[in-house]
Amino acid sequence: MKKTIINSPVHSASFRDPSGFLFTRDGVLYRQVNQAYGEEYTHLMESGLYARLVKAGLLIAHVESEIEPADEKLVYKVLCPERVPFISYPYEWSFGELKDAALATLSIQKRALKFGMSLKDASAYNIQFFRGRPVLIDTLSFETYQEGEPWVAYRQFCQHFLAPLALMACRDVRLSQLLRVFIDGIPLDLASKLLPIRTRWRMGLLAHIHLHASAQRRYADVAISEARAGRRMSKEALLGLIESLQATVRKLDWKPAGTEWADYYAANNYSDAAFEHKKVLVGDWLSRIEAKKVLDLGANTGIFSRCAVETGANVISADIDPAAVEVNYRLVKENKEQDLLPLVIDLTNPSPAIGWQNLERDSFLQRGSFDVTLALALIHHLAISNNVPLTRLAAFFATCSEWLIVEYIPKSDSQVQKLLRSRLDIFKEYTQSGFEEAFKSCFTILESSAIRDTERWLYLMRRK
Amino acid sequence: MILIYLDPGSGSFLIQLLIAAIAGLSIAVGANWAKLKRWIGRKKKKNETDDEEDDNQQPGA
Repeated sequence: MKKTIINSPVHSASFRDPSGFLFTRDGVLYRQVNQAYGEEYTHLMESGLYARLVKAGLLIAHVESEIEPADEKLVYKVLCPERVPFISYPYEWSFGELKDAALATLSIQKRALKFGMSLKDASAYNIQFFRGRPVLIDTLSFETYQEGEPWVAYRQFCQHFLAPLALMACRDVRLSQLLRVFIDGIPLDLASKLLPIRTRWRMGLLAHIHLHASAQRRYADVAISEARAGRRMSKEALLGLIESLQATVRKLDWKPAGTEWADYYAANNYSDAAFEHKKVLVGDWLSRIEAKKVLDLGANTGIFSRCAVETGANVISADIDPAAVEVNYRLVKENKEQDLLPLVIDLTNPSPAIGWQNLERDSFLQRGSFDVTLALALIHHLAISNNVPLTRLAAFFATCSEWLIVEYIPKSDSQVQKLLRSRLDIFKEYTQSGFEEAFKSCFTILESSAIRDTERWLYLMRRK
Repeated sequence: MILIYLDPGSGSFLIQLLIAAIAGLSIAVGANWAKLKRWIGRKKKKNETDDEEDDNQQPGA
């Protein structure tokens, strides 16, 4: 959210919609509503739709602000919305997160119709996770519903939500990464080609993806007005469409079982005593730092992220494994946790900045500021599996936060031995003294402790 | 398929009409079916929509 176009406080993803735009002033985020959207905004607020959606936890709350607008010629109102602690993107969500974001969008659309409005966008980027739940952050997404009109955001919904969910559930969960390439959602002809043939036997997928893609191809050079030929779509039919999408999304499922990481703790060589000791150390250090914002890298299912939450922090719990992140998200839902956001992040290639001028969606590393980074049982993967020199690792962590809690795992550890089994040991500097030396280039080591029952060490460091 | 001058919107629109017509019809049939069952007196529970169920899933304290 920090990035702005040069000389403009207007957010760089806010250029498409004439209804209004986001801007920041003195570190506070505002949304200007333009006169062009005045009538619709009033309808949203006065019809009771806004209150209903906010009460249901589906729309971000805002207050109207008296500050000077960013563009006086266009302004209708300036809003100050509640701030989402961390902006995440659909290609960083687990299957369950994307599915819940899809269902939230449909639920919002159904409610909007009851109040005489309709969503004009169904972009996955308009949904963010706030206090553990998906919420619409774009207050200007609604338009007045005109009886007889179809849902203008139908295609976008299919591209942003249905296609990736179907591909993840029916082909391979890693296909969520296509969203990183296709910023406006996965093209339906591509989704249709990649989906297994058996999906043609499922009514919802047949209609909303396969037949939808064929219809797009067939009518590609026909103008909408021509294709429409005066046909209207009743409100009941529109509700039927939304319910059909709901049923199709609900039926898609993916179970996080059997991957290497999701059952890591069960399979790995930690004893209970070692685990508890590690938890106590992490918890003590975090309380001492009074960390408010924590970045847990290589978080697996979020056990240590939860230690951080217990000390009062808001935590981004990132891991490369979609199954571990899915398990983590299911725990968030089950326990109604509000301060933990699980995300799928590959640290060897974190989300880049994408979109127009590479400014529409920020890179993962640009988005947050954190007090402390947790790198537990992580660096051997980066140093040995990915050949990153220890000094570079230290330099990377120094860009993440002021404080670092990092675990050193020696070569003699059975997990590292597993990594070395299939590679030539070219990692001469990977020793405890080499590790300390390398990290001292960027950090001061304040505490270190051997973890009970293991050969592993835990360090508390502060950026120089 | 890379569309430069062609717009996939028309196809999306037409398929939407078709699906909506069928889905709308099935809802209408379903609603009447429920009415019929109520009339016969077999099913007394009121039919809650999932929309209202969602309202109960508010964020925990």
